[in-house]
Amino acid sequence: MNWVQIAWIMMSAASLTLGVIHLFAWFKQRSQYAHLLFFALAVSAAAFGVFEIEMMHAQSSVGYAAALRWAHVLLAMVVLSIVWFVHFYFDAGRLWLAYMVSGVRLLALGLNFVTGVNINFHEVSALDQVLLWGGAVLSGPVGVANPWAIVPQIGNVLLVAFVVDASVTLWQRGGPVAHRRAAVVGGSLVVCITAVAGFAALITSGLVHAPTIVMPGVFIVVLAMGYELGWDMIAAAQLAVQLRTSEQRFRAVVQAVPSAILLVDDRGMITLANAQAETAFGYRREELIAKPVEMLIPERFRVPHVGLRSAYAEDAQARAMGAGRELLACRKDGGEIPVEVALSPMPAEEGLFVLVSVVDVTERRNVERATARQRDEVAHLSRVAMLGELSGSLAHELNQPLMGILSNAQAAQRFLAADDVNLDEVREILDDIVADDRRAGEVIRRLRALLKRGEVQHAPLDIGNVVDDVLRLTRNDLMNRDVAASAELAPDLPTVLGDRIQLQQVLLNLVINACEAMAGVPGTPLVHIRARCADGAGVEVSVSDRGGGIPPGDLERIFEPFVTTKEHGTGLGLSICRTIIAAHGGRLWAENDGAGATFRFTVPPRLHAE
Amino acid sequence: MTSSAPTVFVVDDDPSVRRGVERLLRSAGLAAEAFASARDFLERYDCDAVGCVILDLAMPGFDGLQMQQVLADRGSALPIIFLTGHGDIPSSVRAMKRGAVDFLTKPVNGDDLLAAVRNAIGRCEALYREREEIAGIRRRVATLTPREREVLAHVLSGKLNKQIAADLGTIEHTIKVHRARVMQKMQARTLAALVRLAQRAGIEPAPPTEG
Repeated sequence: MNWVQIAWIMMSAASLTLGVIHLFAWFKQRSQYAHLLFFALAVSAAAFGVFEIEMMHAQSSVGYAAALRWAHVLLAMVVLSIVWFVHFYFDAGRLWLAYMVSGVRLLALGLNFVTGVNINFHEVSALDQVLLWGGAVLSGPVGVANPWAIVPQIGNVLLVAFVVDASVTLWQRGGPVAHRRAAVVGGSLVVCITAVAGFAALITSGLVHAPTIVMPGVFIVVLAMGYELGWDMIAAAQLAVQLRTSEQRFRAVVQAVPSAILLVDDRGMITLANAQAETAFGYRREELIAKPVEMLIPERFRVPHVGLRSAYAEDAQARAMGAGRELLACRKDGGEIPVEVALSPMPAEEGLFVLVSVVDVTERRNVERATARQRDEVAHLSRVAMLGELSGSLAHELNQPLMGILSNAQAAQRFLAADDVNLDEVREILDDIVADDRRAGEVIRRLRALLKRGEVQHAPLDIGNVVDDVLRLTRNDLMNRDVAASAELAPDLPTVLGDRIQLQQVLLNLVINACEAMAGVPGTPLVHIRARCADGAGVEVSVSDRGGGIPPGDLERIFEPFVTTKEHGTGLGLSICRTIIAAHGGRLWAENDGAGATFRFTVPPRLHAE
Repeated sequence: MTSSAPTVFVVDDDPSVRRGVERLLRSAGLAAEAFASARDFLERYDCDAVGCVILDLAMPGFDGLQMQQVLADRGSALPIIFLTGHGDIPSSVRAMKRGAVDFLTKPVNGDDLLAAVRNAIGRCEALYREREEIAGIRRRVATLTPREREVLAHVLSGKLNKQIAADLGTIEHTIKVHRARVMQKMQARTLAALVRLAQRAGIEPAPPTEG
């Protein structure tokens, strides 16, 4: 054995080894045809190496010609493997060119067996013995070239064209990986194919007397492709490590977040739950994993929730759940807790996962409730104080019907005492008494409602009724102050959501303020109440006076607590009004018009969903 | 100078109070007439009517106190009883100062209201009687000649016939005759009666003689 044999055998063995490795890789990932094609290339190359040793050591020209003829089978396999490897691995190259290269190579293979002694030679007349460095003696062919040898040469040109085109396309896609791949694989292919095919053409044409040396070129191609595929496997392995690290990080974050976190798959099953979720819902993790997420929802909402979940999957976006409604979650012990839920979609190959973050808002709700209670209490106190100011006027409202009742009743007593009783008259009297009694009852009802320290209830209401109530309550007071009042209600006012008593209080406060602003101001005192549709939605109510207006610097300051422009004011009225309106989701502000000040407040409309 | 039965005018903007009070008055046999506003009343009332007004203090636009003022300006003799939903002291003082006969707070007991009404009507009638009387005296004064009126004025200032004669530049006897005619025309039997009649008719005594 000379060193050439040893080198060729080593190249074949190395090719075979690489091929087998990628055969295994292909078994693991059947969709990666590049591995399979590389295997085909490597095995063909290995076998070709053996044939080439045979050719180089052929003792007769007939043996040489036969070995070359059969070596072309392997060479064809090498070419086909290269074409389709490039096509799949680069995901580039013109398909028609790939078919053409394949077709020409198969045609050459056919011609290889039917013309001459092989596709290269019409006949091999003799063998040149070439002495190489190190004492190796190799056989080189001498003979007449096969005229059909142009076919594989055209094939080689097409192959180079295909590879160049595919490499350029890949390069143009940009990125370091594409550039490297195009340079290493494309470059080595072009160089090796050109070198090998050129050298072979020189030998065949008889210009050079040397043994055909193809194997090193093929082996370089195998190495270049193997190197690239190896890179891919290393990158995949690195990716797997990164993935594992990132998953560990994700789990660590999920554990560290102060809220309860659940990961729910597209079937609604819980696939991940953190320690906070265990605490919040009272289940152990094993009890949560692979269970439907509906187990954490009160029973009455479970069926609709399934529908909502699939609706979410249709248009998955990171958002808060429930669109402003108060959400309840169900604990293992059956207790229900108010929660806020945020949803973020996490699309994965297996389907849509949803990351659910749940915050227990029991504590916050309690604080909010306590604040609201305090606000309502202050509002109530201020209401009582305000009614104190109106007491004279309210006494009048009550004394009117009482007067009617008493005089009617005593008149009736006198009529009945007479001999000639006019029963029609008595009937009318009774009707009047009943009407007056109702009227007195109505006054008392209104008063009681205002004085009562009841639960504040936001219910659908007609703002027109609130305006009417306030005008009735202040009728006498306005009269005593010689103030005229007018109301203008738009005909298409929407129903609003609010507490009737608190809204009455606000309007009452504004009307009394308007009257006081006009005391001692020359001109005809007039309070004008107007209710119209607000610019956005809901209702805007305004109270205008002719009291000369508010200094521009005070327009905002008057809403601060303990700021008053009145001699005996507490400075709380307007600040309480503002908190009441804010609690209704509206706005209260003041502005000046020509003759005086206008206070405006808005109340949002009743939601259709309620 | 009216002989018709006394009428009670009810002025109140509250229809049920108005009707109730009107019925109460009718049940007591009194003629009543109701008005929904002070303006209404001022346009339509009979200025010679005998009776009284039951007037609501607080009414929109034109209130009870303003109406009282207008009636006073017109020289009406109708007594006013004020009714109010809630009595505030300043307005009641003002009302009484301007001559209201009563100031009652709603709801007022029927008997109290009727008593107040009867009292007011009594006053009104007394006032009319007095006016009648004064008118009678004035008629008698009108029958006196200018010389007799001069003599009367001097008599009222307490002068003797002799002094009067000296002041008027005539003799005592002539004065005596005039004086007898005055007593006769004025239907006064005594000097005291003559003085009282003259006072009620508003005749001024003559100024005292100088020197």
